[in-house]
Amino acid sequence: MSAIVVSKAHDAATRPAKRRRSGGGWKQIAVNQAFLLPLGAAFVFLVVIPLGQTFYWSLTDFTGYDPDASFIGLANYASILKDPSMLAGLGFTLLYAVATTAVITVLAISLAVQLNKVFAGRNFVRSVWFFPAVPSMAILGLVWRYIFSPLESGVINSVLAKLGIAPVGWLSDDGLARFAVVVVGVWAATGWHAVLYTAYLQSIPEEYYEVAKIDGASPRQQFFGITLPLLTPAIVISTFLLMTGGLKVFDLPYALTGGGPGFATQTITQSIIIAGVSQGRSGMASALAVLFTIAVAALTFGQLRLTRALERRLS
Amino acid sequence: MTSPLWRRIGLSAWMILLACVIGIPLYYIVVNTLKTQSEMVANPLALPTGLFLDNYREVLASPRLFRSFGNTVYVTAVSVAAQLVTGSLAAFAMLIWTSRWNRIVGNLFLLAFVVPGQATLIPLYRTLVGLELVDDLNGLVLMYMGGAIFCYFLIQGYMRTLPFEVIEAARLDGAGSLRIFWHIALPLIKPILVTVGIFQTMGVWNDFLIPTVFISSPDNRTVVLQVFNAVSEFATDWPMFMTVSVVALIPMVIFFVLTQRHIVNGLLAGSVKG
Repeated sequence: MSAIVVSKAHDAATRPAKRRRSGGGWKQIAVNQAFLLPLGAAFVFLVVIPLGQTFYWSLTDFTGYDPDASFIGLANYASILKDPSMLAGLGFTLLYAVATTAVITVLAISLAVQLNKVFAGRNFVRSVWFFPAVPSMAILGLVWRYIFSPLESGVINSVLAKLGIAPVGWLSDDGLARFAVVVVGVWAATGWHAVLYTAYLQSIPEEYYEVAKIDGASPRQQFFGITLPLLTPAIVISTFLLMTGGLKVFDLPYALTGGGPGFATQTITQSIIIAGVSQGRSGMASALAVLFTIAVAALTFGQLRLTRALERRLS
Repeated sequence: MTSPLWRRIGLSAWMILLACVIGIPLYYIVVNTLKTQSEMVANPLALPTGLFLDNYREVLASPRLFRSFGNTVYVTAVSVAAQLVTGSLAAFAMLIWTSRWNRIVGNLFLLAFVVPGQATLIPLYRTLVGLELVDDLNGLVLMYMGGAIFCYFLIQGYMRTLPFEVIEAARLDGAGSLRIFWHIALPLIKPILVTVGIFQTMGVWNDFLIPTVFISSPDNRTVVLQVFNAVSEFATDWPMFMTVSVVALIPMVIFFVLTQRHIVNGLLAGSVKG
């Protein structure tokens, strides 16, 4: 879920401890290492070795079946930049990640500010918004496929028909299909992030607002002067989760549009699977996976540094 | 909090209206399970005219859906249990023995967080083909073991807050490491095991990427995969598809209602601390 949470826990754990190191002897050490063994094995076999293989294959013309792959240098990387389906995957994934992050952040903060007020039906409203985070996105994507159906019996088109507008092929036009995927992505995650923001809002002391009111600050000034700056840590975490989640997206576009029309809504993950598993172009898929890993890793490290810099400034 | 009454009513009305719009897809799938196909086509958003339960009768009579439930329960239960045991064993080892070696190992584990699952998918697919674990539920369990590293980090963070003296005392009384782990550490870390377990259960149950790549035969499908394939089976029969979806979603909804408090608290505790 969150690399930031994890890095915190890790910082605490690696700090030199004073009271540890109880007893000793080879037997103790052996037992201790035996406890670490299962996780170490999972790490080596599921992360280290396959990552090395991905990197090595990205430099070969490996097909996935023929063991005699030959070394071809950076040719795979060059051909990604010429392949329209791969480029489409890169382009749409970036668009999706940036668009959902921006829209969800604005909507979730606005929603959280409202949810932080007392009003009748608040729990109902919060539950409805949060609910899409519970079921599988693959199933929700399929449901939305029916809502966007090009037939007059699709939900949106049936409403349009009542207004005398002809049915629209929502998922058969490049632009509309991309728009539809982003809309569903926003629908699915806004409530979850609003709940996250609500927690931070509740930690802002009420006195700040009282003082601001006495000084004659308008609600607008209060929001931009108090609420938004104090939400900065939450914004950092939320946008980080949205960006990494957005780059890794697969279920939703695959269920809603299947990547189409053409390659309009294809994602990087889908490109990797198609090239690497179905088409036997393992070398090229591996090169794409390497580029993808570098992007996600750079984002994660940048995010961690930003969080630490902000913390130093705020504390 | 002292806003005038009319403003609070206005806010309430506006927020509930908005929530109703957001809730349309949920209303849409539930309401259409109670309709015939022609009824749905005529008016997708209207309430059903009568209580039509044939869709449910047909779906609940399908052995394949129940089989997929069984598969998902097996994969989720085994992999989450294994993740929690593996993660807490390692966290315990790191807690009771701090050495340079363990610190290096701990730093290496962090690497797992910058590597997206997509990057290791193709080599792991080839490896599992070699091990004849493709199209096998145990292959899925193996793939999900990567989640143990996430469990490890959260459990280890929680363990740091425990009174170390308890463990020390048990050791002085002559208890072995395994006994201390089982009888003292595990009961103490129950709250974090519950939180992490809930998140991992939702993650594994809802996962689509790994089953869709690794499972090919209908008998081995997980629920999500089964629903996904139902679309092509019921190409034109929309109410049937909606019914399959609703039945498939019910366990997750019940799970959510029962664990909602933990989910929201875990989400908040995790991120606020971060």
